[in-house]
Amino acid sequence: MLQEILIYVSLGLAVLYLLRKFIFKGKSKGNCDADCGCH
Amino acid sequence: MSSKKINIALVGNPNTGKTSLFNQLTGMTQKVGNYPGITVDKKQGGCKLPDGTLAQITDLPGTYSINPNSLDESIVLETLLDTDSKDYPDLVVVVAEVENIKRNLFLFTQVQDLKIPAILVINMADQMERKGISIDLKKLKEALKTEIVLISARKKEGIEDLKQAIVNYQEVPREIPFQISGKIDVAYFNELKNSLKEFPLYKSWLLLTQKQEASFVSKTSRRILASFKKDPKKVKKYQHKETIYRYKFINDILKRTYLVDPSKAKDLRSRLDKVLTHRVFGYVIFTGILLLVFQSVFDWASVPMDWIDGFFSNLSKTVKHSLPEGVLTNLISEGIIPGIGGIVIFIPQIAILFLFVAILEETGYMSRVVFLMDKIMRRYGMSGKSVIPLISGTACAIPAIMATRNIAGWKDRLITILVTPFTTCSARLPVYAIIIALIIPETRVFGLFSLQGLVLMALYILGFAAALLAAYVLNKVLKVESKTFFIVEMPNYKLPSVKNIFFEVVEKTKAFVLGAGKIILAISIVLWFLASNGNRDFKNATQQVTEQFSESEISEEALDQKIASYKLEHSYIGVMGKLIEPAIAPLGYDWKIGIALISSFAAREVFVGTLSTIYSVGSDDEGTIKQRMAAEINPVTQKKRFNFPAGMSLMVFYAFAMQCMGTLAIVKKETKSWKWPMLQLVGMGLLAYVSALITFVLLK
Repeated sequence: MLQEILIYVSLGLAVLYLLRKFIFKGKSKGNCDADCGCH
Repeated sequence: MSSKKINIALVGNPNTGKTSLFNQLTGMTQKVGNYPGITVDKKQGGCKLPDGTLAQITDLPGTYSINPNSLDESIVLETLLDTDSKDYPDLVVVVAEVENIKRNLFLFTQVQDLKIPAILVINMADQMERKGISIDLKKLKEALKTEIVLISARKKEGIEDLKQAIVNYQEVPREIPFQISGKIDVAYFNELKNSLKEFPLYKSWLLLTQKQEASFVSKTSRRILASFKKDPKKVKKYQHKETIYRYKFINDILKRTYLVDPSKAKDLRSRLDKVLTHRVFGYVIFTGILLLVFQSVFDWASVPMDWIDGFFSNLSKTVKHSLPEGVLTNLISEGIIPGIGGIVIFIPQIAILFLFVAILEETGYMSRVVFLMDKIMRRYGMSGKSVIPLISGTACAIPAIMATRNIAGWKDRLITILVTPFTTCSARLPVYAIIIALIIPETRVFGLFSLQGLVLMALYILGFAAALLAAYVLNKVLKVESKTFFIVEMPNYKLPSVKNIFFEVVEKTKAFVLGAGKIILAISIVLWFLASNGNRDFKNATQQVTEQFSESEISEEALDQKIASYKLEHSYIGVMGKLIEPAIAPLGYDWKIGIALISSFAAREVFVGTLSTIYSVGSDDEGTIKQRMAAEINPVTQKKRFNFPAGMSLMVFYAFAMQCMGTLAIVKKETKSWKWPMLQLVGMGLLAYVSALITFVLLK
């Protein structure tokens, strides 16, 4: 049961991260650094 | 005999031979005075001039301008602005180096603007003939309204002429050839001039642009300066304008007075340039260097890559056997570890590629490549300025597209933005590397060149050729007239700094792995979940498969394999994959590759991690990524899934497809329209599909 809860939490965090990265982008903090969000 | 004493400040860019001149003038009798609280030296020494005057020479730290960015530069500024100081110079001798005179004149004109008598000394004048440089001294003196002395501090030439010029310093014209106030905001600078009448205008302007308040400025003046500092954006904007106008002024003068004829140059740099930028040998050498780079990417990286691959395979196995059975253990061993392993394995290859690029940049060779490529660009209707984005696109298209901002003509800029994603970025390297390792044998051509390395090089050339051809077509199709000019400054050749290269490689590799790693970790979790769950068929897989094979003789192991395969096919991801399979089957791909194609739309390098995760789910095969991909069988043909035709088709697809959401976003931002990124997406996608189809059909 605990393992399943952890799975769903990980899945939620992963989906949230991908949505924020590619769909609901936050405002840029200024200049482009070494990782310009290309990866 | 005169007993007069004058103060002379030696000012100049770093490495112009200022200290050598100081030693020549003072006869090595200088004393070194450390200033409290700082570590920078300001040397002082005496020099007896031909008329008997004693000159106190102060050698100030090297600086590119008197807008201080560091402590050394602050010392220069303070010495030149503090008129009450005992060291305040009666004359400033600005030391310039004959080869980089433009940059040196920036500092010279700033000193002149402070209304301090200044003479210009051009050092290393003995190198002029060897470097093919000629200076019209008379015209230069007239344009700069100053005395100019040519010297060679190293050979002790021109020192007496300089001493005589110092004696006559009061004859130096006090006119300022470059007037800042008349060029930028006349009203603003007039107000500044009238508010601080005790200072020359440029001194007020310099005090205004400093972050820290100068100790020698009175309270009243500070208050006035503070009122001008209220709009820092305006001050910054005017500073930028000043730099632009100052360089324009210098360029105009140098066009008339300073000539470099490379055909007459005889020094080592010129000789090297003649060979490295030669219209035949230049390209031969560049091809040789490319061969070396791509051979090394495969040859040197194979051992650490095998080690990393084995490490992740063992880690996955250990985690599976050590942790308690359950879904979380499966997620870690079948989802996260193989997914992350799918990118970490490429660190050696990426680091080697970045190492070579850093060495080529550090030595100054990259500027010669830009020059060589410029000739090709023009034939295909592109601007010379497009070279830099195209070459930097080999690392990542996003900063490369941002670098197009310095292309003046809109048409040139748009074409460069549209074709830059064709150049092979580092994210394509993992895809190419794994497929090449699967379909190209590890043989040597002529016993010397690795065939795998040659194929990788061919793919880089294919990307560059596609960019050129696309630019040619776009140039014909887009009917907009514009023209830009390209000037590239060739830096001197130098031995690369090990420290610089080390940090460059570490930083770039870290940015690549961490940037990609976070996305891959998230995608691996989502993919594992979609591959480990499904509808009713998925849940009843064991019962369905057991019933299906109940009457045939099949081992327990084979039955487990059949159940795992059935489950994967009926998982959520399997259903999605099957949905797109008809569209990609003509290219030689199955639904699993289809899923990898879709997930790698976020970023190309996700492709390998996705396949690695998909092949791990439910599988008892604990081999490495490469082994699992090599073992994948096409159920229809019973041949290897990653065979030569399918592998080549995949690589061609990735060479042309616009598989990068980040690039699309930056194109939208730079063109301020969705029209162009959509054109890229559809155009490159169609080209990729058709080319991959033709490749597969021809090679099948």
